[in-house]
Amino acid sequence: MSIHQKDDPYKSSTFGKSLSLKVDGGFNAISINPSARDVVLASRQGLYIIDLDDPFSPPRWLHHETPWQVADVQWSPHPAKPYWIVSTSNQKAIIWNLTRSSSNAIEYALHGHTRAITDINFNPQQPDILATCSVDTYVHAWDLRSPKRPFYSTSPWRSSASQVKWNFRDSNILASSHDNDVFIWDLRNGSTPLSKLEGHQSSVNSIDFNRTGGSEIMSSSNDGTVKFWNYQSGGSTESTRTVRTEFPIWRGRYLPFGNGYCVMPMVGGENSVYMMSLDQSEDDLSETKTDKNAINSTKLQPIYTFKGHSDRVIDFLWRSRHTYDTMIDDREFELVTWSKDCSLRLWPIADILYNKVNFERNKRLKEKLPNYEYITYNREVHDTMNFNDNEYKRIKETFVTTSGLTNMNNVDHLNWLSGVRMNDQNTPDDLFEQPKLHNLGEEVSAIGQKFPKVVFEKISVSTGEILLTMNGPWSDSNPDEYIFLRIEINVPSYYPHRGNAPVFKIEENGNLTDVKKQEILAKLNEIGKVYTDSDLYCLEQCLHYLLGEKVSMDLDDNIDEPLFYLDVANSVNFDEFSTMSESIESVKSTESSSDSGNNIFTNPFDQNPETRNTFGRNLAFDTTPVPNECGAIWTPTGKLLCFFSTESKPERKQRNVLKLTRDNLMIKDESKPITKSLYDDNNISEKGIANSRPKRYVDTFSANDAKSRATDVTSDGESTSDDSFGSFVDDWNDIVGNDIVVRTRIPTLLGNFAKSFGSVHSESLKTGDSSRTTKNIIITKDFYSLFQEDIRLALKYEIMNEHPDEMARHNALIAERYGYEEISHCWQILSDLLLAEREQSFTSFTWNNNPLGIKWFIKEAIKYFEKESNIQMLAMLCCVAANLFISKTNSADIYNVQESYESMVTYDLDGEHDIWPNEVHSQFSAGNTIQSQNDSFARSKLLYSYDNYSVQSEEMAGNVYQTTVGRTMNSRHVLPPKRNSNIGLQTPTSHRAKVAHVSVELIEDVVLKSFKNPVGNILDSSDIKKCQLYIYQYAKLLFRWGLPYKRVELLKISIQAIAEHLHENSFDLEDLNRVNNNTIEINWVSTYADDKAVSNCNYCNLKIKGSMYVCGGCQHVLHADCAKEWWAIGNECPSGCGCHCPDRYNLCS
Amino acid sequence: MVSITNAHNDLIHDAVLDYYGKRLATCSSDKTIKIFEVEGENHKLIDTLVGHEGPVWRVDWAHPKFGTILASCSYDGKVIIWKEENGKWSQIATHAVHSASVNSVQWAPHEYGVMLLAASSDGKVSIIEFKETGTSTPIVIDAHAIGVNSACWAPVSYQDVESDSNKPTKELRRFVTGGADNLVKIWKYDNDTQLYVLEETLNGHSDWVRDVAWSPSVLLRSYIASVSQDRTCVIWSQENNKGPWKKTEVKQDKFPDVLWRASWSLSGNILALSGGDNKVTLWKENLTGNWEPAGEVQQ
Repeated sequence: MSIHQKDDPYKSSTFGKSLSLKVDGGFNAISINPSARDVVLASRQGLYIIDLDDPFSPPRWLHHETPWQVADVQWSPHPAKPYWIVSTSNQKAIIWNLTRSSSNAIEYALHGHTRAITDINFNPQQPDILATCSVDTYVHAWDLRSPKRPFYSTSPWRSSASQVKWNFRDSNILASSHDNDVFIWDLRNGSTPLSKLEGHQSSVNSIDFNRTGGSEIMSSSNDGTVKFWNYQSGGSTESTRTVRTEFPIWRGRYLPFGNGYCVMPMVGGENSVYMMSLDQSEDDLSETKTDKNAINSTKLQPIYTFKGHSDRVIDFLWRSRHTYDTMIDDREFELVTWSKDCSLRLWPIADILYNKVNFERNKRLKEKLPNYEYITYNREVHDTMNFNDNEYKRIKETFVTTSGLTNMNNVDHLNWLSGVRMNDQNTPDDLFEQPKLHNLGEEVSAIGQKFPKVVFEKISVSTGEILLTMNGPWSDSNPDEYIFLRIEINVPSYYPHRGNAPVFKIEENGNLTDVKKQEILAKLNEIGKVYTDSDLYCLEQCLHYLLGEKVSMDLDDNIDEPLFYLDVANSVNFDEFSTMSESIESVKSTESSSDSGNNIFTNPFDQNPETRNTFGRNLAFDTTPVPNECGAIWTPTGKLLCFFSTESKPERKQRNVLKLTRDNLMIKDESKPITKSLYDDNNISEKGIANSRPKRYVDTFSANDAKSRATDVTSDGESTSDDSFGSFVDDWNDIVGNDIVVRTRIPTLLGNFAKSFGSVHSESLKTGDSSRTTKNIIITKDFYSLFQEDIRLALKYEIMNEHPDEMARHNALIAERYGYEEISHCWQILSDLLLAEREQSFTSFTWNNNPLGIKWFIKEAIKYFEKESNIQMLAMLCCVAANLFISKTNSADIYNVQESYESMVTYDLDGEHDIWPNEVHSQFSAGNTIQSQNDSFARSKLLYSYDNYSVQSEEMAGNVYQTTVGRTMNSRHVLPPKRNSNIGLQTPTSHRAKVAHVSVELIEDVVLKSFKNPVGNILDSSDIKKCQLYIYQYAKLLFRWGLPYKRVELLKISIQAIAEHLHENSFDLEDLNRVNNNTIEINWVSTYADDKAVSNCNYCNLKIKGSMYVCGGCQHVLHADCAKEWWAIGNECPSGCGCHCPDRYNLCS
Repeated sequence: MVSITNAHNDLIHDAVLDYYGKRLATCSSDKTIKIFEVEGENHKLIDTLVGHEGPVWRVDWAHPKFGTILASCSYDGKVIIWKEENGKWSQIATHAVHSASVNSVQWAPHEYGVMLLAASSDGKVSIIEFKETGTSTPIVIDAHAIGVNSACWAPVSYQDVESDSNKPTKELRRFVTGGADNLVKIWKYDNDTQLYVLEETLNGHSDWVRDVAWSPSVLLRSYIASVSQDRTCVIWSQENNKGPWKKTEVKQDKFPDVLWRASWSLSGNILALSGGDNKVTLWKENLTGNWEPAGEVQQ
């Protein structure tokens, strides 16, 4: 049935080399073809047949969905039946015939056990005989010529069987392990054991007959010991030797060569396989023979440790080859391990190991070694067999295979490729640590991930044929138009060595003009030549070019590299290439993977639309910028919130090194000066990262895709490998619930593997987004020291004080305590000035504008802190000004009843120098009252009492103050003076008022003139608004700092003071209005859009603009015209509040 | 000091603390938004908001007086408004006027009401005002032909601060946008026409402007920081909210890598810049008006 050409194991490209294959999907059992070409991996989804000679080709997948983990899989060791594989499926054993098509490959199903089968063993001498053992305690022997029932059964009844093995010499003898004991059976003896080997303290996991020793058998157990027995030696059940280890042993077997054995831990033991020599320990044994206690017990003394898996090893086996029909023992071996970390590895065996186990190579053999056909079963077979002839058809129906015939092999080739790693060096130790490009397969896998929009229609690594399609900006007419290209690349076998540039062919295409095509080809060939001349991989550069990006032909930054390369090149094993080329030819004639390849590769966008939703947009016009990977945002509380994508330092370092390895250089010594000089940060930045860094988000899709794929797969890998060992029930649910097939069949792409490939990208280091991990971190940082504002100051500062100088002194001390020298000084000076001002209040006013005056100082200080942008200080200065203002008001109102002179001065004068009247102001009065009630009625009455008169323009806007401030500060006793509009005359109202105390003073003209800038107005009017904003801003800050009380204090101050200031500005207008409307005594104020007191007119309900009337009692407002109109009719407030507004002013129209 | 590792399965694009600094919202390429409760050094994941169909670029908290409300924008072209009520998060509005990725989203100063500014790669910015009646009226403006990468509101300020006290003080509502046409544009709300009009176009970058940030400070001078793909950061300043904008480069030579993000501290003193070198640098204006480095954060 085989259509395969016979190959020679000595042409194998992988034998004797380290190899790592990532195979995801929870495979739990492994076996190897006797010809040592193929391995089979078994999982609940079926079998994977992997050709070790062409690991780049995807595996053949024999679907067989079972809810039970496959306990064991065995490849028939007989040359007569090299196509048979037996695997377990719970209580059944399934015989696969690989010469049949994958969907029809089950030849027999052995059904005799009632519970799960734990082990299968082919009889080493008779191809049709095999034994199975099960949890149901039975051991069955089967003859596949009559597979309906076992021809031999036995059981020790008590405990389940874990292993069964045939004797290599005597095909009637078999051994099985049950719990702590091992039983030797003879088929001819029925169910009576030939011998029972007792001695283990815990259950036996593994038994193995010696290939040459006949009756010698070894057993390995959970108790951490390996015991060697010779069951014929006088029926003794004593073990001849015990080796203790530190770990429970999962498998222990004799070496197929020499005199030694290997053990493998179940847990611990550094996930390694240990190799021991038996001869050596024989010497030890003889030495200690005198000591009876020590006779059976030695410690594990490995002669070699195969270490490198990151999780426990599931099984190991030996791959061997020898020359055909030889009579000389020229066998070579290689260890194959399969681990729970989802990787399959090949470990070459050094000659020294052969010697250590006394394996005499080239010894004359007594009989010929069996010859195996060196073929692979990796390729899919198209069945010609007539299904109806299959007598086991009925059985097959019970095993539902889910596979379709057409796309049997739908394993993603690119993903598969990315899981394959091969190493030239023969040292098994450091092979997997340093990911580099080693061959075309790895290169294709790397670029496949980097350019997801490039579709690989065919990849044949072994023959060097690649067929890809893509869209590139190669239109003649429109440079923005992308046209479709199909490119065939033929890669010579010695690629990428000098003179082995790939050959490109571009398929005829209507959109592509001949000129352009030639241009592209010329450039591609040039790139290929330049790069291969330096022995560099060039496909990535070619693709960059084909996608319309710039490609650096300048390899001069790496002047020294070719020299380095020569050194390396000398050490490269060129034999590999010769074998490689031969195997390429041989594969060429066989059915290549390319047939199925057409099915495999589709446009990544079509394939998984959910991974990159483009929302129906034309990606060519998508100008979304590349997303930021890190950022810093100030938090409201003044901390800096930063987020980064994390990349640990070693990775960074490695990336620097990998920049070198893009040229496939194997410089491992990072400390070499050349590394540093070439790749320090400056250098990179000067080469214009910005130019090469993609701007658009869509440009990074490729890299992102690779990245997300990598992460998806790795995470899946973890989950599935965990699943594999989980309970069967869970798994069954899992399978039913999810599309586990899709999820698990993808070969794992190791996270850091993809990463390193990404960073191999030379031109734009950062574009290799796949080099990013998904790891990220959010941190906050305190930068208190940078801020002018300090929460501690805010907590301690005094905002309100009747005596601003005390407040300033207090604040000076606070600032000093926290080390703000400058601010402390500022407060100190302020305090001194304020004190001076208080003590000799009168005379100092004239100095306000002087450099020693307080007004000047505050102005200068504000200027300074504006430059410093210290909101806290600015707001505080404004506070001082406000305090000053208010404290004067307070003192006028509350404290200085008898000192009306002073209160008048400090309160009533306005600072508007330019409108300072020239005429004599004969009378001033300060309306001072001590009022203990808040009763508004009483207050409103009192209003009439404060009739101050006098000057036209320079009074305070007492009325407005009352309406605005008085309202907000209801609890205050402050009641500002009321001005009568009759200029220079005392109105009768003043006499009628019930005044608590009124004092009137006359001030001389001369004095008045010196009060150019009353202290109440230490800020220029232009600064007031600004001042308000500062306070507002600081209030916000206080709130964010969680100091709402301080904030309220601050706002209180500011509203009081600023309201007064604001309304000062309305005087001139007001006066004007008053003059015009002499007949009606109303108070006119100009409006402010933001004045809360102003709303709609209560009469006409329209927004108030211009002149208006505000009732002092009920606060309702009216248009001036409306008021006239309304009060012509009645004297109640139009709002219906019951207030008799005009009465309050004793007005009549 | 909060430190959260691997909050998301993919790159994080934004992380914002709410008004009180108690809750942290992060958004990522994994299409989700996560809300963390932050208390001192501890943090606790409260919720993961799923709803966007593409990577989420930015999030912004609304002022708390409107409730616990978060806005997010995504590559899927949508702005989603999320609200927490009784500990449950739900989408309360989706704003999908843009035909391409929405790159930035920001709530207006709360004084203006519930108003949102979104910038999109389709070249437009949109201002959505959510009225109390539940209606919203988006105003869409063509801002930068190739695409708008960022938009930022100016703090509340007033025009004609000084002098002329007779005239009512006018509220000055402005915002700034940065786009793929390498320009920075300043837009002003015209009270009369109720439209946003272009006030100023600032040309100072040689490559895409990635982020613009208007200093929240209300000092005399207005500051706008714009960072660009050309590896420079420009500070634009204007005196008293009028007159020409002055251009100052933060650094004479170029930054080591492209810049992605600019952020002003609350009081507007310190500028934090972050970029492709995975590094955050802090800048501060000295008394001579030059910018000098004030710190650095590295992961």
